This record gives sequence, C-alpha cells and structure tokens, in this order.
Amino acid sequence: MPAVQLLEKERAEPAVADVFEAAERHFGQVPNLVKALANNPTLCRSITDFMIAGLRPGRVDWGFKELLILKTLRAMKSYYSYGAHEKLAAELRVPEQKIGDLANSLWRTSPRFTEGERVMLEFAEQVARDANDVHDDLWQRMKAHWDSGQLLEMNAVITTFIQIGRIGDTLGVCDPMLFTKPVSSGSSIGSGLASPQGL
Amino acid sequence: MAQLPYTDPETADPVMKAVFEQTVKRFQMPLNIISIMGNAPEVGSKMIQIYFDILQDGAVDWATKELAILKATKMGDCLYCVTQHEVVSERLGVSPEKQADIVGLQYQVSPHYTERERALLDLTSQVVLDPEQITPETWTNVRKHFDDAQIVEIVATIGAYLQISKFGDAMGVELEPVFHGRASVLFEKEPPKSAAAARHLEHHLGATRH
Repeated sequence: MPAVQLLEKERAEPAVADVFEAAERHFGQVPNLVKALANNPTLCRSITDFMIAGLRPGRVDWGFKELLILKTLRAMKSYYSYGAHEKLAAELRVPEQKIGDLANSLWRTSPRFTEGERVMLEFAEQVARDANDVHDDLWQRMKAHWDSGQLLEMNAVITTFIQIGRIGDTLGVCDPMLFTKPVSSGSSIGSGLASPQGL
Repeated sequence: MAQLPYTDPETADPVMKAVFEQTVKRFQMPLNIISIMGNAPEVGSKMIQIYFDILQDGAVDWATKELAILKATKMGDCLYCVTQHEVVSERLGVSPEKQADIVGLQYQVSPHYTERERALLDLTSQVVLDPEQITPETWTNVRKHFDDAQIVEIVATIGAYLQISKFGDAMGVELEPVFHGRASVLFEKEPPKSAAAARHLEHHLGATRH
C-alpha cells in the first residue's frame, strides 16, 4: 500500500482537474505518481508540468533522454518506473540490445553507443555518485559533442529522475500501466499547464 | 568556475526575464542557479516553478521545510544550497544553534528539536540514504504528526533538493558574491564527506579570506 492515498480525479480537489487532464492527454492515462501527488495540489501541478515538459522531444532526442533516465535510475538504485521507461525507450525505437547495454559497464565498450552518448552516460553515473566531483576533463569531452542548451537539458533530465525515483520509491508508488498507452510528443517546446503564479 | 555560461538578466529572452523578475521578487537577487538555466529557458522556467512552490508556507510551514532542505543538502555536501538555506532558515527563525544540531544524529537529542521535527528529519535522512531502508517506526512517527498532503510536500521537498543540489554542483554553480565571507554553520560542525566538496569549501573560504 502506498504511503499516501492515490486520489482518483473524482476525489481530488477541483484545483488539480486540469493537471489530471494534461497528464491523461500526455501519458494516455493518469500515472499513479500524479494521483499520489494530488494530495498536495500545488506541488502536483508543478511537478507534473515539469515531467510532461521533460518527457517529449526537446533539444536532445527523446530516445536518448530515455537512456539517460534509465542509466540514472540504475545508478541511484531506484525502482520506480524502470520497466516503464524501458518500454517507452523501445517505443521510441531505441534497440533493445542498446537498452540492455546500459547495465553496469557494458555501455563503455558497446558499439551501439556513439562517443557523444557514452560521455553523457559517464556524466550521469558521476552525478549520481558525487556531483561535486565532475572533472573539467569530462566537461570538455561533453562540450565537444553537445551545445550548452543540450547539456543543460540533459543535466535537468538526469537530476529530475533522481528526484522522481526518490519520490516514487519513498511513497511506494506502483505504476504498472505507465507508458502502456501512446505518449504524446507534445505540441511545442515549453507548452504545458498554466502557472498559478503567472510565470 | 561554472561550466556553462550564466544568462544576463538584462539580455535574457522573455521566458527567462519573467523567471528573473519572479526570482528577484521572491529572493531579492537573480541567483546564479537561475542564471544558468537561461541556457535552456523552456526547461529552467518549468523546473524553477517547483522551487517557488516549495519555498513558501504550504501544507507544511516554510521553516519546517527548511529543516528538511538543510538536512538533505548537507547530506549531499551541497555548499551552494546549505549556505543559502542557512541564511533563509535564520530569517525564518531557525537559530544557528538549532541549525548546527541538524548534523548527524544530534537532532535526535537536541533540545532545539520537537518530536515532530525529529520525525521529519528521520524521514529525510532515510530518503537521502536509501528509501528502501525507511523503517516502520519512521512511518509511524511521521504519520503521528503529518497528514497525506504534508507527507507529499515533505517528500517532494527532499526529492527536489536532491535534484537541484546535484544539478547545480555538477555544473559548478558558484555562490553569489553576497555570500562570500560567510562560513557555513553546518560545514563548520562537520566537514563535507566528499573530498571534492571539501576542496570546493576550502576554495570558497580561501577566496573570502583575501
């Protein structure tokens, strides 16, 4: 049983009705994590909005963002949503063997990864281990393959799934239906829910 | 030195300009962690809304959330977050003596902490270390003092500060000049565990001595 109630739309506060609708539009259904967050409408709104903004095409190919998410969840020993993100990565046409090669150190020598991808997986592992210890040399190698906007986006994806993994694992959320329906690619970068604070 | 360029609020795009305006209104300055988000405004503007929502009274009062933030970011050796939130906490009434006792297990016996705050900090420690190890006793104590809306707010706060501390530290985001010359209460009590974080702290203190 989760640490908090999972609120269906009918039982959640009216203030999150549009959050549930946006989640259903994007994910094909309302994830159980959103139903848990709905106990707190303010944070349900901002966290769901940020998740929707990240799980779509951006400055970096969505399929590769999924690989970063999977590597991050592995590195953090997070359980929440790992299988669902494997499924989503496969739907985004990432080869199954490549997803498997994320395990332990296989990605370091796997021919299925480019140098640009490998250097970002190295970054994801380092951020999970000790974000204070990302060396200049690693940043130089990252910058050889990616621009500043892409690096910012990938750092955000990695650290956000440290956050999401911790929240899901702490609250004991099980989301077996996550990504079993088609996920929307979104209409444009930056679109999403209205902010109550007018940002 | 930060690994990505900071965005100048004067020349920021409209999305980031709105974020800077909100940041200055809330925190009296445009903060380096916000400026670096200007490299991808569509990402930064969404991310920062979570922090605007946390850093105010909500289902849980702001000062109590600051205790979770201090504990989580100290455990993560985040000099940037700890230094800033020591200042914020003190403004909200958390004395330096109380802040110092958050380190390690001292909060469990410190007279500065209530049972409610101890339950919060036990949960915070276990979430940071490994959620799989959260004990039944911890949940019982947390549920004695907090309802579902509050538990979500606390867990989201801990998760968010694990996120932002790693996000900023990985890019080498520096403390703003206004914090130079300020030694950290928490790191004075217990130095960082990470050798790299200890070097950053020494560099920060060295820079402020000159």
